[in-house]
Amino acid sequence: MTALLQMQNISKSFYGVKVLDDVSISLSAGEVLALLGENGAGKSTLIKILNGDYQKDGGSVLIDGQPTEITHPRDAEKLGIRMIYQELHYAPELSVAENLVLGHLPRKSGALKWMVDWPKMREMARDVLTLLNVDIDPAAKMGSLTVVEREIVEIVKAVSRQARIVVMDEPTAALTPPEVRQLFGIIENLRSRGVGIIYISHRLDEIKQIAQRVTVLRDGKHVNTLPISEASDENIVQMMVGRKIEDRLHVRALAKQTSFGETALSIRGLSKADAFEDITLDVRRGEIVGLFGLLGAGHVALTRSLFGVERPDSGQILVDGAPVKIISPQHAKRAGIGFVPLDRKVNGLVLGMSVRKNITLSNWDKLAPLGVFSQGKELANTRAWVERLGIRMAGGVEVETRFLSGGNQQKVVLARWLEAGVKVLLLNEPTWGVDVGARSDIYDQLEALAAEGLAILMVSSDIEEVLNVSHRILTIYKGRITGEYSQAEANQEILLQSAAGGAQ
Amino acid sequence: MNNRLRTRGLQEAASLIVMLLLIIFVMSQLTDVFFTARNLRNMMLEVSTVGIIAVFTTMLMISGGLDLSVAANLALAGVIIGRFQADWGILQAALAAVGVSTLIGALNGFLVTYVGINPLITTIGMLSAARGIALVVADGLTLPVFDLTGEATDAYTLFHQLGEGEIAGVPLPIVIMVVLLIIGMLVMQFTTYGRALYAIGGNADASRLAGLSVRRYRMIAYTLTGFSAGIAAVLLTARLYAADPKAAPSIELTVITAVVLGGVSLAGGKGTLFGTVLGVLILTTLLNGLRLQSTSTELQNIAQGLVLLLAVGLDQIRTRNINWLKWLRTTRALPAGQPASNGGN
Repeated sequence: MTALLQMQNISKSFYGVKVLDDVSISLSAGEVLALLGENGAGKSTLIKILNGDYQKDGGSVLIDGQPTEITHPRDAEKLGIRMIYQELHYAPELSVAENLVLGHLPRKSGALKWMVDWPKMREMARDVLTLLNVDIDPAAKMGSLTVVEREIVEIVKAVSRQARIVVMDEPTAALTPPEVRQLFGIIENLRSRGVGIIYISHRLDEIKQIAQRVTVLRDGKHVNTLPISEASDENIVQMMVGRKIEDRLHVRALAKQTSFGETALSIRGLSKADAFEDITLDVRRGEIVGLFGLLGAGHVALTRSLFGVERPDSGQILVDGAPVKIISPQHAKRAGIGFVPLDRKVNGLVLGMSVRKNITLSNWDKLAPLGVFSQGKELANTRAWVERLGIRMAGGVEVETRFLSGGNQQKVVLARWLEAGVKVLLLNEPTWGVDVGARSDIYDQLEALAAEGLAILMVSSDIEEVLNVSHRILTIYKGRITGEYSQAEANQEILLQSAAGGAQ
Repeated sequence: MNNRLRTRGLQEAASLIVMLLLIIFVMSQLTDVFFTARNLRNMMLEVSTVGIIAVFTTMLMISGGLDLSVAANLALAGVIIGRFQADWGILQAALAAVGVSTLIGALNGFLVTYVGINPLITTIGMLSAARGIALVVADGLTLPVFDLTGEATDAYTLFHQLGEGEIAGVPLPIVIMVVLLIIGMLVMQFTTYGRALYAIGGNADASRLAGLSVRRYRMIAYTLTGFSAGIAAVLLTARLYAADPKAAPSIELTVITAVVLGGVSLAGGKGTLFGTVLGVLILTTLLNGLRLQSTSTELQNIAQGLVLLLAVGLDQIRTRNINWLKWLRTTRALPAGQPASNGGN
């Protein structure tokens, strides 16, 4: 049997830097192939070549054994190749049915063919939804759906038009465990109908559940392809990073710190309508406090309020024991608070600016006390952070940040606040969309920074992350703190229960 | 990669220079008065008015702002000088005029940054209002601006020197423009203010979350643009000995066309003052050449409008096709198998 898709000996360079070097993958009908690799390993470039966004420098693409040239996303579309990206594209004010047939609206017949045939459209939508066993009301507004439902609609839409190869890029990044199961149901359904799926994810546990084979890329090269039964977490990670990271998957050997410094950040009875209520917590110097909640639990709004992006209705914030008034990010910065936002591309970085300018963006008071930059000092400080955090980029510190991988972009945002010399760091989902290697780097750095006296409040909906990196864990549910656990007390079960509002 | 990005900037500048030379060549072939000292001097004086405003508009647009009220602002400042010179003294009136222009700029900034009105709407409103006030102040007439007593006092001599004086044979307005331009370039390159404008234009949300006072910087950029209209008004009035409430018709379009042609993106975050210089030179040469051909004003307007659309269109293409250009370059210029030019990471 010929494979549904073969990509053979693919090579690709950008700016003279090889990002793909002789990479081959194959995919059979009805198979889920997990594509793994750190950011910058070449996964997205490979996928973009498949979709016609980029042109390969060398190698060949075969579909059903036939050599095929894909020079434009249109070609990929015709061949039945469908991409499902992390960022979803939909019209929130239209119904599910309308979104499903968008661009292919059915028309009435005869003289009325300029009019939309609404009953037909609803029927079409219902048909594809039933076919995939999806229980979503086609008349519901897209904007009213949950994240997973929107994602499922997106998948249904992608596959409703003769899909043969579906590529999913981190489809579970924003999903809770039950939602992930729902998504996997859809994937199984697709598989049973002969669709080939390339599944990109950083979550090894998911890959083991859903994939049949796994291909690992590293530094633009094909490392290995294994049946999933032969792949252990350990050897996958080792293949990805090229070295051993022992403490990644199980509870990290986070230094059992028992004594911390003075309280750096205190929150007293902070409330904001429809977001959070009566939040009281302390973060001491040298301590990493994990705040665990499911999406929408109010923890994100809390950090935004602490940083002056939003205004709390009542309550008090103290830094180093002194009450501070924080009505804008500038106030927060002056008070010694740094903030790593949820979406680094939208809120974190000036993508068109260089790594250097992004890293020093919050430290002008020291680098340019009279309004004129001391260029030598700026460059020296930048280089120091690049080296310490292991920020990797092709071409040096003058490269625009939009050319960096997610993990490296996140490190740039982190470096900015360290450069600014903050005492308290608020982190929002610090490793969302960050690959294993960079993730591990970031955890190591956070721990080291805490050891140097930084107080860190980390908001996360990644339970593994919270368990592995926090000295102390608080859970939040519907805007209220529902539990507090020491590193020793906490485990997945307790945290999930507490964060879902259950009794302890 | 760094070198490549720099190369792209150079290529853009080079293409503008080629465009400028081409227009100069064509114009010099079409008429023999183009290369006369007199015409070049007039042209440079014209450039000075547009250029002074363009320097500050460039900075404003890099921060993501826009000001369409500069021409009306300039006209209003001019008639304030004309109307109040007798009452307040010419120099005082000139100072007041610059003050009013600056205030109008500040008001634009306030409405855009604090009230949150779209800059296009804000400054179109301001354009209409300022032009109206100018007509009221001047009673709809062109006001003479010289010593009506015929005594030519020191104050008036000084004032007219601003428009007519020379330093080493170069008219003062041009000197002032060049000085402002150089200061602007240094500011954009080396200071926090310049860095802030690029950052805010690039990503205002991220800039705010990095702790920059986005509103303050924006306020300053709008205020300075108003200030530049005032300065241009003083120099123009001093040179022309008259203030016309209908002065500088649609100069705002000339300025914006030149700025965008020079590579400043309408979205903000990108562009240089050097590009603007080329843009201004290209546009004024073109318009001057058309005028020498005794082309009607209507035709000149049509030409300017087309250049604006062309410049904006190019801006769009530049922004959107950046990836396309990238792969074109990498696939053609760097065949597979070529060793990496630098160590990669």
